[in-house]
Amino acid sequence: MPVNSSVDRALAEEPSDGSRQGTEAQPGVRAGGAEDPGRAAEKLRALIVEDDASDIELVVHALSKGGLVVERDAVQTASDFKERLRKKSYEVVLADYRLPGWNGLEALEILRQEGLDIPFIVVSGVLGELKAVECIKQGAADYVLKDHLARLPNSVRRAIREKKLRDENQKALQELARSNRDLEQFAYVASHDLQEPLRMVATYTQLLAERYQGKLDANADKYIHYAVDGAVRMQMLVQDLLTFSRVGRGGIEPKPVDVKEVVDGVLLNLHAAVEESGAQIGCENLPTVVADRLLLSQLFQNLIANAIKFRGPGTPRIQVSAIQEEREWIFSVRDNGIGIAPEYAETVFVIFKRLHTQAEYPGSGIGLAICKKIVEQHGGRIWLEAEEGPGCTFKFTLLRPRAGGAYDHAAAH
Amino acid sequence: MDDNPADIDLAREILSQCKHHFRVSSVSDGVEAISFLHRQGGYEAAPTPDLVVLDLNLPRKDGRAVLQELKADPELSKIPVVVFTTSQANADVLRSYELGANCYLRKPGNLADYRTVVQSMADFWLGFASLPQKERR
Repeated sequence: MPVNSSVDRALAEEPSDGSRQGTEAQPGVRAGGAEDPGRAAEKLRALIVEDDASDIELVVHALSKGGLVVERDAVQTASDFKERLRKKSYEVVLADYRLPGWNGLEALEILRQEGLDIPFIVVSGVLGELKAVECIKQGAADYVLKDHLARLPNSVRRAIREKKLRDENQKALQELARSNRDLEQFAYVASHDLQEPLRMVATYTQLLAERYQGKLDANADKYIHYAVDGAVRMQMLVQDLLTFSRVGRGGIEPKPVDVKEVVDGVLLNLHAAVEESGAQIGCENLPTVVADRLLLSQLFQNLIANAIKFRGPGTPRIQVSAIQEEREWIFSVRDNGIGIAPEYAETVFVIFKRLHTQAEYPGSGIGLAICKKIVEQHGGRIWLEAEEGPGCTFKFTLLRPRAGGAYDHAAAH
Repeated sequence: MDDNPADIDLAREILSQCKHHFRVSSVSDGVEAISFLHRQGGYEAAPTPDLVVLDLNLPRKDGRAVLQELKADPELSKIPVVVFTTSQANADVLRSYELGANCYLRKPGNLADYRTVVQSMADFWLGFASLPQKERR
């Protein structure tokens, strides 16, 4: 950044009392200098938290040298700081660490309490590594030594850029969440409203088949069969889509749930399939977690039912277990079935994606999508464990309540 | 009482194959349903039904309102009402029974189940169940 004397003059023209009147910097005023005439100076609304008047000037000076025209306010006390923040919006807060009766960390805390996400840069004398690290940990964007103020302009620019990116990111996420909600609403309404006309198609094609089977030509029989089959499959899809879009609709109700109990309940539901397949199902180390009981039950039911459905030629063996990690439980449902090729590890969770024909394994391709949705609604992840050998292992995580938290307490009873 | 002619035809179709013989009358909205029951507005010659099969989503006057009115009328309240609808909502089931429905049946999505439901309904209500003797008006 070119340095020239006119910057200093421009600086002198700025009111130093922190009043807002006339602080709207005019790039044109200082355009007569040697600085690149094509480049308009950047204006910066900064709040300086500093008790030393000459340090304020040094900071402003350093920023001007770096091409930043500062529209600044300066405060000394915590109450003034708070008041300023409420009155005006700033692009950056530049705060000394040692302040009379308080410090930079407390200023950071105030900023947070006010719910403001303004880049906060500590501008201080030598602090020592511990305090500097603490400031960064608490959310300061940077730490600039008063001896190295030449760094400040770039530090400010970077902090503002990062803030802008954060904002954009946030906005994009919100937009994504909104469009997701719209899509879910659409899926719900569509699947709900499709059911009624579909019922008519299904019932009447079945009536046609019943009444005219063998009375028309062979092609007619075949065509009617296609129509009947298509309608029945579409009914299944629409029903499953409705189930999918209902998952967590109206929120989830997390409560302490004994996972062993849930799995036992699921095995009762799957009684017929377990009997018929001769599946052997073992449970190991299943904890109490905080989750929505119904959804958790659906999750295990889908995973265990899949393990039975996609069984190999031998006796199906299914192992349900959990490992405790620092912040979460990792559950696994392992089987010795036909397995899933690693290249489909992601695809299997996508709604309506299937790896088999209806003739091989009937289904709608919605079960694992429901599992994924349930796990994600609980803040967890689900994946297909990559491994050699027959069968496959699905793993998913559920957050552990924080030690000593209300959930632990409740779970103990 | 159903606004969907396909449902009425289907029920007629199935009932025509039953061993009992029924006289089936149909109306396609809630206002007509009430007129029919009160034998007014063109329905002066209508018979008093032994059984009412009522859809919940009717135009003009909702099935729930028809049910409420029917069960509030001392003369009509004795007629058993089977709610026959696509709604799976528990709220609809509850509300229907609260209003005095005698049975709540969901319309099945396939012919075989539909036939079973309609036939069982006819067998039970018009075969096995004892209904109040009608006074000829």
